[in-house]
Amino acid sequence: MTVLMLTWEYPPFIVGGLGMACYGLFKALANLGVTVKMILPTKEEVFFEISKPEEADYPVAKSQNGEPLSPTPLRFFPFIYSLPEESAYSSLKEFLIQAKPLEVNPPLPEVPDEVIERLNLILAQGDNLLHKVRLYTNNVLKLSQKIDFELIHAHDWLTYPAGLLLKKVFKKPLVAHLHATEFDRALGFGHPVIHEIEYLGLNYADKVIAVSHYTKGIAMEHYKVPEEKIRVIHNAFIARTKSPRKFRKFREPVILFLGRLTPQKGPRIFLEIAKKVLESGVKARFVIAGAGELERELMLEASSLGIGTHIMFTGFLTREEVEEALSISDIVVMPSVSEPFGIVALEAMHFGCALIISKQSGASEVIENAYKVDFWDVEKMVSHILELISNPEKLRELQEKAREEVKKFNWKIPAQEVKKVYQELLHSK
Amino acid sequence: MIYIIFYFQVHQPFRVSRYSFFDIGSTKPYFDEELNRFIFDKVSERCYLPANTLFRELILASEGRFKVSYSITGTFLEQAKSYRPQVFESFQELVKTGGVELIAETYYHSLASIFDLEEFIEQVSEHLEVIEKDFGYVPSVFRNTELIYFDKLSDVLLNFPQIKTILIEGADRILMGESPLYPRLSYNHAHLLLLKHYKLSDDIAFRFSDRGWSEYPLTAEKYVQWIKDLGLSEREGKNLYLGLFMDYETFGEHQWRETGIFEFMRRVIELLLREPHIQFIFPSEAYRTLNFSPKGLSVPDPTSWADTERDLSAWLSNPLQWNAMKTVYEFLRKAKAENKREFISILKKLTTSDHFYYMCIKYFQDGDVHKYFSPYDLPENAYKYFMNILADLEEKMEG
Repeated sequence: MTVLMLTWEYPPFIVGGLGMACYGLFKALANLGVTVKMILPTKEEVFFEISKPEEADYPVAKSQNGEPLSPTPLRFFPFIYSLPEESAYSSLKEFLIQAKPLEVNPPLPEVPDEVIERLNLILAQGDNLLHKVRLYTNNVLKLSQKIDFELIHAHDWLTYPAGLLLKKVFKKPLVAHLHATEFDRALGFGHPVIHEIEYLGLNYADKVIAVSHYTKGIAMEHYKVPEEKIRVIHNAFIARTKSPRKFRKFREPVILFLGRLTPQKGPRIFLEIAKKVLESGVKARFVIAGAGELERELMLEASSLGIGTHIMFTGFLTREEVEEALSISDIVVMPSVSEPFGIVALEAMHFGCALIISKQSGASEVIENAYKVDFWDVEKMVSHILELISNPEKLRELQEKAREEVKKFNWKIPAQEVKKVYQELLHSK
Repeated sequence: MIYIIFYFQVHQPFRVSRYSFFDIGSTKPYFDEELNRFIFDKVSERCYLPANTLFRELILASEGRFKVSYSITGTFLEQAKSYRPQVFESFQELVKTGGVELIAETYYHSLASIFDLEEFIEQVSEHLEVIEKDFGYVPSVFRNTELIYFDKLSDVLLNFPQIKTILIEGADRILMGESPLYPRLSYNHAHLLLLKHYKLSDDIAFRFSDRGWSEYPLTAEKYVQWIKDLGLSEREGKNLYLGLFMDYETFGEHQWRETGIFEFMRRVIELLLREPHIQFIFPSEAYRTLNFSPKGLSVPDPTSWADTERDLSAWLSNPLQWNAMKTVYEFLRKAKAENKREFISILKKLTTSDHFYYMCIKYFQDGDVHKYFSPYDLPENAYKYFMNILADLEEKMEG
């Protein structure tokens, strides 16, 4: 079975969790005998092949005629969404609310010509990010002529236009994988064009894989995707380091926020928590690790409390630094306002950190050994932190349980479920 | 008579390393030795050595009629002795001419006068000591970091009875329409205040090579004429005191040699020496040349020579600066209380005002000036490196 994977991220070219999820999934699929051919946003016309699990670690770039190459990746774009000044899509809100569930004609609904025309129009805009999506889509179209595959699997909106086009051209089934929606990133309505692409991609795909029930709910509620078309397959986790280090950098307990500094991830909530914990007189060190548009605002707010070195900022982190941050932390808080999954939670468990995560995350659906709190309930998160700090026995117990529990989140079962989706689609054809 | 008082500020900070959060707990040095040495060498070649040569020649040629004053910080002297002894010796040579007055300030060029008066007194004492040791000189004039001045400072300086005169910024908001050419008395009448004439000072320090300036190019003849014209406003025969205060790096570093700044200065001084009603004096000589009783001047809120605001905002206008400064003085007090010597000297170097200047996020033209002086790409990074160092010190001090 050969699957053409369309994804914007793959290690080492990673912006967020998408790349790590793809890595784990593709490796596990290869183990189940699925051959993965992957197209990334590279400048060169190349694709990558993973047919054995070990090839997932260093996939080899191949040109159309199969020669191995080393590609130069496209620059990765910061995810800053703003409405274009003269938006041609001002009626989209209406469009989304009024849209009726599409008449799906299983097993393989055609992609109507209008959808392709619409995508062409959308991608022809001057917007920088959309322009890159168009380049990618063209690249995929060209490359796919020479690649053998039975099925298309597209990851997130950036690759949906390419997926839809290929489906139209090759009449092969399309799986749309939903790792995050524009509603999560923008905390509400975001870029109208991205909403529209998500709408089209999810509705004209043959199957949708959502990374959590939380995300499935968004797809159903906002994009009117029929429930029977969506399969929930939770993310898993692949440990880079078998036995993670644990050491102390500070005498005081370290409480970590790890993620992009954007409203979605809830760094402001973390700051509120830090403020309240420190006000209570407890000695602790709060570390805000990551970069993003809120950095200056958060730094100004934090320093205005006059708490000296008790709230620290790391700025952008390399992969090694992410691991070091987890190595020195006692408690990790993931106060995301809207988090399709939140792979950081699993990583934190792997590094033996006690976890406090928001209920508005996919991870909270599967993790047992964590405090789960509504993202807005600062008081509750504060009381959990105070409880753990004042009770080292309990803290250690939770850390141990987390370290133990994370072992069960490997990619084997999710990959089997993904393979099952493939089989169903190919079979029904 | 128009008395001209030249005063140059000579200073280099110990810039901190790009000390990341992940460097905490390591042995990475707090100060960027390589960068500090590089900048010191560069400025020595462009400014200190040629400017010292120029002013020494002018002093010798005028047979003592040309006079200048300098304030040289302790951190500068440390760097000079360690990186370029030749520069240190060249200042010693200059002082030996007798045409130079040395001025007292805080050893570390800090804002201790705002945050910790005990530390302020300590740093002034340290500076007086090093000036006496290195130059055999006992200053009687004081200038605070970046000309920061407020009423209370005069009270605090009563701890140093030898200090009679203070240099301050001739800021519009304290002069309220009065001329900066007349020295004033501190509110308690304890000190004579000499004011910077910011227009004529900044014409040289900032505008000299500005092609967008309507007076560009500034010739020595034009500038000397402006000085002579100052006398026209005085009808009661009072002596006028023109304070031309600027960074020493103006010569060759901020205004490059290629702009003709050195030739301009030589010519200006030669022309001024020919004028019968113009004389150069040391700041300390202002007292005895006064032919009128100076008026009192009250400065309740701090003024300085920095930025267009001429207040503390260059170092203390956002919470990053405030938290960093507050924390460094807290740690310093703690280190002193516990008598941890090795930490005291490091923390004192961290009180230098430049560190907080780099954290400034004011915009418009001042933002550009801050950026020009900053060795770090962003104010946020300057803050991060600084706080990481403090966190490391905090951990080590506990140990």
